[in-house]
Amino acid sequence: MQWGELLSDTDAAADMSIPEGARKRRDMASIAFLLNGQPLALEVDPATPLVDVLRDDLGLTGTKRGCDYEGECGACTVLLDGQPVRSCLTPVGKVAERSVCTIEGIAGDGQLTPLQNAFIEAGAVQCGYCMPGMLMASHALLERELRPTRTQIIEALDGNLCRCTGYTRILAAVQLAASRLRGENTIFPSASEKPLIGGDIRRSDSIEKVTGRTKYVEDIVMPGMLHARTLRSPHPHARLVSLNVNEAAALPGVVRILTAVDIRGENGLGDYSQNDPVLTPVGGTLKMIGAPIALVIGATPQDAQAGVDAIQVEYELLPHTFDVKEALAKDAFPIYDNGNVLTADRIAHGDLDAAFARSDVIIETTYRTAYLEHAALEREAMLGYVDEVGRVTVTGATHEPHWHRGYIAATLALDLDRVRFVTAPIGGSFGGKQDPWPAVAAGLAAYHLQAPVRLVYSRRESFDFSPKRHPYQIDYRIGATNTGHLTGIRVRIDANTGGYDAHGQYIPDYAITASGGPYRWQAVDACAQTVYTNGPKAGQFRGFGTAQSIFALECTLDELAARLGVDALEFRLKNAIDQSSVSFLGYPVAESLGYADVIAAIRPRYLSFLEEAKSFNAAARSGSENKALRKGVGLSGMWYRFGKSGSLRIEAHAELAMDGHFVVYCSAPDYGQGTNTMLSQFAAETLGISRDRIELVNADTALTPDSGIQGASRSTYFVGGAVCQATRNLRLAIDATASELLNCAPSDLALVGENVVCQCDPAKLISLQKVAQEFEQMGRPRRVPGLFDLSPHFPRETRPLYVPCFVTGAQLAEVIVNMRTGVVQVLRVVAAHDVGRAINPVDVQGQIEGSVLMGLGAAFLEEFIPGASTGFGDYYLPTIKSMPDIETILVEVPSFFGPEGAKGLAEASMLPSTPAMINAVCRATGARIRELPATPERVLQAIQSRP
Amino acid sequence: MTYAGTQEVERRAVEYLYPRTIEEAVELLARGSGEARIIAGGTDVLPDMRKKTIDPRCLVDITRIPGLNHISVVEDWVVVGAAVSFAAIKDSPFLVHRVHALVDAARSVGTVAIQNAATWIGNIVQAMPAADGAIIAIALEAEAHIVEGVRSEWHPVASLFCGPGVSRVDPTRQFITQIRFPYPRGPWGTAWSRIGRRPSLVLPILNCAVTLSLDADCAQIQCATIALGPVAPYPYRARAAEAFLLEKPPQPEVFAHAAQLVQQEVDPRDSIMRASRAYRLSIIPSMVSETLEMAALRAWNTVQ
Repeated sequence: MQWGELLSDTDAAADMSIPEGARKRRDMASIAFLLNGQPLALEVDPATPLVDVLRDDLGLTGTKRGCDYEGECGACTVLLDGQPVRSCLTPVGKVAERSVCTIEGIAGDGQLTPLQNAFIEAGAVQCGYCMPGMLMASHALLERELRPTRTQIIEALDGNLCRCTGYTRILAAVQLAASRLRGENTIFPSASEKPLIGGDIRRSDSIEKVTGRTKYVEDIVMPGMLHARTLRSPHPHARLVSLNVNEAAALPGVVRILTAVDIRGENGLGDYSQNDPVLTPVGGTLKMIGAPIALVIGATPQDAQAGVDAIQVEYELLPHTFDVKEALAKDAFPIYDNGNVLTADRIAHGDLDAAFARSDVIIETTYRTAYLEHAALEREAMLGYVDEVGRVTVTGATHEPHWHRGYIAATLALDLDRVRFVTAPIGGSFGGKQDPWPAVAAGLAAYHLQAPVRLVYSRRESFDFSPKRHPYQIDYRIGATNTGHLTGIRVRIDANTGGYDAHGQYIPDYAITASGGPYRWQAVDACAQTVYTNGPKAGQFRGFGTAQSIFALECTLDELAARLGVDALEFRLKNAIDQSSVSFLGYPVAESLGYADVIAAIRPRYLSFLEEAKSFNAAARSGSENKALRKGVGLSGMWYRFGKSGSLRIEAHAELAMDGHFVVYCSAPDYGQGTNTMLSQFAAETLGISRDRIELVNADTALTPDSGIQGASRSTYFVGGAVCQATRNLRLAIDATASELLNCAPSDLALVGENVVCQCDPAKLISLQKVAQEFEQMGRPRRVPGLFDLSPHFPRETRPLYVPCFVTGAQLAEVIVNMRTGVVQVLRVVAAHDVGRAINPVDVQGQIEGSVLMGLGAAFLEEFIPGASTGFGDYYLPTIKSMPDIETILVEVPSFFGPEGAKGLAEASMLPSTPAMINAVCRATGARIRELPATPERVLQAIQSRP
Repeated sequence: MTYAGTQEVERRAVEYLYPRTIEEAVELLARGSGEARIIAGGTDVLPDMRKKTIDPRCLVDITRIPGLNHISVVEDWVVVGAAVSFAAIKDSPFLVHRVHALVDAARSVGTVAIQNAATWIGNIVQAMPAADGAIIAIALEAEAHIVEGVRSEWHPVASLFCGPGVSRVDPTRQFITQIRFPYPRGPWGTAWSRIGRRPSLVLPILNCAVTLSLDADCAQIQCATIALGPVAPYPYRARAAEAFLLEKPPQPEVFAHAAQLVQQEVDPRDSIMRASRAYRLSIIPSMVSETLEMAALRAWNTVQ
């Protein structure tokens, strides 16, 4: 039954009363309740979770599923008689005769509530997946309490997980809404009064997100849609001996079972992974838990799952290890024929022995990091179908639609033009959704079935099979002189890439590049290798391979500063490189460098935090209160090479539509970080018009050019640059045509509203619609390309594989440690980042705040343990209760080449968070933590084993 | 062994019934012959059905039986009905002012949206060794009113636990209609503490509830209860430490010694996801002594 039918179903409305006494029905029961103020009655199994009834039976997809019906994520929060409940834990039988309110019901027709408006204005909306649940919880709070304290807001929102925002702006939004509801005329920086670039611009997609109208893949229903589930290995290492699908295939509701023999083309993921099979063939080896074996397509997800469960599989178990050292041992069982090392890389320059000989102090440290899970609130979801011109089409999340198209085409042995990838609204990625496996699987299913097939991971499946952050072991040997100057550095890094490559092949380069930081070294010897184990495959994750190295480096530098007896901040500043220095890589950097500026930006706070900690600790030592508590202040710097290897020529298109509005075409998926808004800002600024006249067509291989991979924080710098160039070219073409028609100089023309106007003589004007018609008549293209091209600046013959464009940042953390339990609370964080130019400051701050919370998770909470971690119930994401006060400082040292002086930022802002917090714990306790996460147990152990 | 990463469960429809009286509820259970089951908040029933650890044909929802959603003080007892959610406990002015540990324990269960549905009694019937509701219940020496067929009896909550997740109460036959705990008239204080891998929405590394009754001068401990989890296969009462505290002055040194005794008598396990046995043991002395100090302070406050 669909929502529309229900509203017009008068019988349903009349059937509101429940018979007296205990009602007994066989099988389905009729359940009557008020939904968003409307009475309705449903024939449904009363034990069905309310979320399924809302989404699947009623089509109200604003309410989200983020965990496996465990009540762990909060995305499904709805109001039952005004109180927030988890609709995944609420049997629909429970709502009989009661009132349910969902995100679709909190606002009147077309009107946003003050709360929804506040979320938009405060910049609290990023990927949007947690928004409906977050809004319902906030709504219930404000219905109860118009003057909520900070603590009450935190209490009310605690457990509604958000992976993007760091909760800071969500808290601010609720406070803003509360003040408005109290009738206070709270002014919030208004978008319209600020300039297009550098003003706080409202997101182009946030209204859809706060109303629950955004259709993520899991929300899309197509006629005749089938559902795919995957048979996966339960073993970390096994040979697939046999596979019998006959019984499963005969089940009613099972439409088709696909195995490796159904793959006509390449059974792999192309250059994403050297050895990730789409489906493992019989006789092949399954290298990790979750390795895919077969796809079952059923009429419903339940049918498909029944098919998966009925497949008979025989495994031959093989020895396995999750540990890099074990995998590297001489007698280790080979996971691959060529051994367990995937790739290795090295940077070496200068005379290291001589540098160490000149050193007064040399320290050696070993640091270890954990497997981390992206945990985007939206699970991996893909919808495959055949589009109107017969292309195998897949819609879902990606960082590069054209690459996804290529992988799908190769697997299906189809020409590229017979395959299409359409990027859907994405509920968070953080690098995780670069894995093309779900897209290829959905493409395979749609190709064979010639029907829409949707594939949605369970959260458990996402935990098992989505790529993780590589765990590192990092060994440092670093020297310095008594004057506080760094001398030599030797680094050895072993990275665990798990059972499959998944771009782990590039990790050694990223690992060692980050490992030396923005510091002067007399001599360098840095090696890293990526090693196979039977842990989960590890791939891209915010700061791909660099966050682990920066953590170890910045902690080691603190250890060294302590040994030298010098101040940690001044020590970093003294050794900071500048524009012309030879960097750790052996050559200077390519982009403007603001490292000294960001360090200087945090210094005033650093000094005052240190003073406060000192007096707090003195009082705690002598007084009767807070006896067990110690405060500490730590800091960390970082550098991050943005941009990746590959083409320096990036393409975007701009078009003058026949009706006179503008269309920009490019491929830069927005996972929630605000790319779409940023790109429209660039386009509007360059064209000289308002943003509402720009339509952005983004990341659809049938419509948009290939703008390269959107990883390594490329979007703003590279695609933003290409959009600027395309719109500049289009403007030139418009001016040329209009100047002929108006008989005036092109330089005199301006775009005003829907017209091109001659500034010298405002009476001379022509509509953009007319200009478009003229283009058509003259055979001039209305759609023009633009290239952002760095290659003339960096000729191929002389440039390194990766152009050394770096961003830098520094963060300060204040923590309080319970010396008896090892429990740490992060109180305040100050984050200063050189962003070149903040295109949309509110979004830049949102990225930094989200990074800080993710860095906090990595520091204290998060660890994926192979074979043990199952989902949000045992992988501890930061909730709003973990949120520190975050102050962001945007330092703007303009880039040499980027559009409007911008640089790539987002993921880099995570790098200094973890080490700053860990350094703060060490300052508070006098104990060194060298393994992540710093659980209460590890912190207490370190405290107890202080010298 | 099959792969566990599934979410869809094939299931037949259940009956969902709202009895209007306790008698009717019990009759429905009897008629169900083991296939009918009590449901209160439902926050554990649905996940258990999904995991197939239970497979009821009929769910008997007791939350609309008149009288079961009350918190009342009857003579020297506080009585809490089966439909009382943790949110209702948190919102009870009487409990907020008088039984701090119960309110804090209620606050520790999941999150607000869970507390709005989940009930104290449901939490006890789940019988997890560190269930916040169970730990506080045994510290309060609570008793459960169990109805089965025509019989109804009060049993100490502490007697209802058989092992991790195994209760002596069978919700397909029996129904706890209310629980009660004694409410002493003299100086009396309760306190709660809990440590987890994150501040909330997490199973505890350790939780601890204590109550202290003092004599009228607050000079001597008349009665002490200390409950902890997870330090045994069931919610645990630290009897040796409680016995030591009797007739001792409520002083930090005394509490420190009692906490040492707790450390000696418990037997926590290693948990890969939460903490090791060694860590749990090492934080018990400070955790228990601080909790006792807080309870003593509150007891003292009741007569000031």
